[in-house]
Amino acid sequence: MLTESVPLMQAVVPVLPEMGLLLLLILVLMHGVFSPKESRRTVCVITGVGFFTLMVIHLSVGFNFVGDPDFSGSGLGDIVRVDAFAVMFRAMILLAAALTCLMSGESRAINRRVEFYVALIVAALGMCLMVAANDLILVYVALETASVSLYIMAGFQRDSKLSSEAGLKYYLFGAVTSAILLYGLSLIFGFTGETNFSRLGPALSALTANGSEGVFALVVALLLVLVGLGFKVAVVPFHFWTPDVYEGSPTPSVAFISTASKAASFGLLVRFFSIVWPAEMIPYWAGLLAALAAITMTLGNMLALVQKNIKRMLGYSSIAQAGYALIGVVALSDTELGAAAVAFYMAMYVLTNLAAFAVISAVEWNTGSVQIADYAGLSRRSFPLAIVMVVAMLSLGGVPPAAGFFGKFFLFSAAVDAGYTWLAIIGVVNAIIALFYYLTVIKVMFVGKAEDESRYTIRPRLAVVLWVTGVGILLMGTLASPWWRWAVEASQQLTVMLP
Amino acid sequence: MLVQQYLPIAILVLFAIIMALIVVFTSVIFGPHRPTKKKLAPYESGMTPIGPAVRRLPVRFYLVAVLFILFDVEIIFLLPYAVVIRQLGLYGLIATGVFVVILTVGLLYEWKKGGLDWE
Amino acid sequence: MIPLHWFLLVAAGMFCLGLFGVLIRRNVVAILMSIELMLNAVNLNLVAFWRYLAPEHINGQMFAVFVFAVAAAEVSVGLALIISIYRNRDDVNAGDLNLLKW
Repeated sequence: MLTESVPLMQAVVPVLPEMGLLLLLILVLMHGVFSPKESRRTVCVITGVGFFTLMVIHLSVGFNFVGDPDFSGSGLGDIVRVDAFAVMFRAMILLAAALTCLMSGESRAINRRVEFYVALIVAALGMCLMVAANDLILVYVALETASVSLYIMAGFQRDSKLSSEAGLKYYLFGAVTSAILLYGLSLIFGFTGETNFSRLGPALSALTANGSEGVFALVVALLLVLVGLGFKVAVVPFHFWTPDVYEGSPTPSVAFISTASKAASFGLLVRFFSIVWPAEMIPYWAGLLAALAAITMTLGNMLALVQKNIKRMLGYSSIAQAGYALIGVVALSDTELGAAAVAFYMAMYVLTNLAAFAVISAVEWNTGSVQIADYAGLSRRSFPLAIVMVVAMLSLGGVPPAAGFFGKFFLFSAAVDAGYTWLAIIGVVNAIIALFYYLTVIKVMFVGKAEDESRYTIRPRLAVVLWVTGVGILLMGTLASPWWRWAVEASQQLTVMLP
Repeated sequence: MLVQQYLPIAILVLFAIIMALIVVFTSVIFGPHRPTKKKLAPYESGMTPIGPAVRRLPVRFYLVAVLFILFDVEIIFLLPYAVVIRQLGLYGLIATGVFVVILTVGLLYEWKKGGLDWE
Repeated sequence: MIPLHWFLLVAAGMFCLGLFGVLIRRNVVAILMSIELMLNAVNLNLVAFWRYLAPEHINGQMFAVFVFAVAAAEVSVGLALIISIYRNRDDVNAGDLNLLKW
């Protein structure tokens, strides 16, 4: 009765990337076990190409089906609901995974170790389910699938004290916060007896109509859920893991954790707040999230100012970026442009951080150092690397013509639209403070002098990553309107899909 | 009603506890208590104890335990399927098949990597 | 029948006990056990809610089953990470994880 009436495409399309990832997983795992050792050098290319192919298939199928009135988008017994918003975030995740594969192939810590790629595939699988989740059970399972694989990736260098410590710290924080999130989910289930998002919304608004008792219960559940999601996106009281994991873990893992994981978590956060929570709850979460956003931006930027290690600096910078993106979630309380701004910002952030970490990987390959001081003279040692780093830093700082400018512009204007002008002002002030440490990196690269200024080599696969991300950032920064229109359409579908 | 049905069991449990306490404490209270160093030493088949009582386990035990937990717990998904196997029909069979195949791939990997070898 | 809130109180107590354990224990394995306690509290919650409020939907029970499976996966990864820490430094004390700070 579940399937006979549903045509094959209806059932397959919503979980197409997941099925592809599953096949890729089996292929890579068996490749790692049965093929001879020498041929394993290709594993990063196989996985990367696999991710990229899946992204292309996913996008072409997504554009054909999503938005079609005959296509419901629901799959696996309505626990997955694919709309344009999910399509967009899945594309970001798959792209980030593909580029991370290429970076891992040029990392001495990872190179041809198959287990890393397997963890990467499973993490991407979890994230793809996360952004399309339509059921509390799937939210938890997908979140944990992604997190558990990310713990493995963070602690992947078993012989390094730093990496194993980073992995364990990430794990301990993650396991505790996810248990707290789960307690919140169990309360939501208890209040309504439902786990499906489309039935949960009406059931929860019936609960708030019951008076203050129902609202109080929901606020408790909301806080508990916020702990778990706040950990994933690194919002301030739950950010302690971020700098440590960024510093200790292998660079490709950090690149993936900082981009795909953050994007997926924001995708889930936006969906959760726009679909599950009834409108009556807005006054309770909007103010709280606004305060969190302000604190997160400020603290992240302040602590980033004093860092000497570039990975650690990007860790604090990513906390600040989470604060900016949270402004969009706050704006969601009043205008759906908030969701579009978050989607655009995350797309920009994924490209930008991948570019920055690709440069870090390249420098690490040549010198083995991640100190900002060792970037002195980079412009003379390898001009292309320096240029990509400049683009990435300008984009993170929100300077045109890089994509970050429009990202921040859309976020702040959405906040003003929603009546949070004070938050937009704090955001602008923070962006100016942040420029200081981004520009410091640029200054060190161009003005600083190193004793030995021999040329760096750029490995071919890293060159691909540098090209894709660099061009992508400039493209999003100069021709922002098609991407923005896509994000707006996606965010409109987010609420249209409501029953 | 419900409580009354369990009353005999409760009485039995209570009786067992009291008996056990009586047996243990009678000897503690009435028995002679003259400890010497030899008497307080840990009992090891009447021989002189060798080494500390708490030993470190080889790390291999952890590996076996972890692998056991994983494959043991996954069975939990087959039990509910067994209950509704007829209602779900072909769809359920394929879904469960995919699940088992993935588990088998994991097992194959573990086997080839030597996770099942003790030495 | 025993009222629902008894189960919820026990679950909440177990959860707090687990959280307390996470915060005060120094040994990482003990922290892992405390996390497990928290997850089991949630399971108790889920099953109680399911039995009392929505016995006609199988959701609550399935949720608990998934929590079991996920907890097993999580714990095995945690143990693996602990072993790798232990091999690096012969010690699994959470307070000694101090190579990375500021």
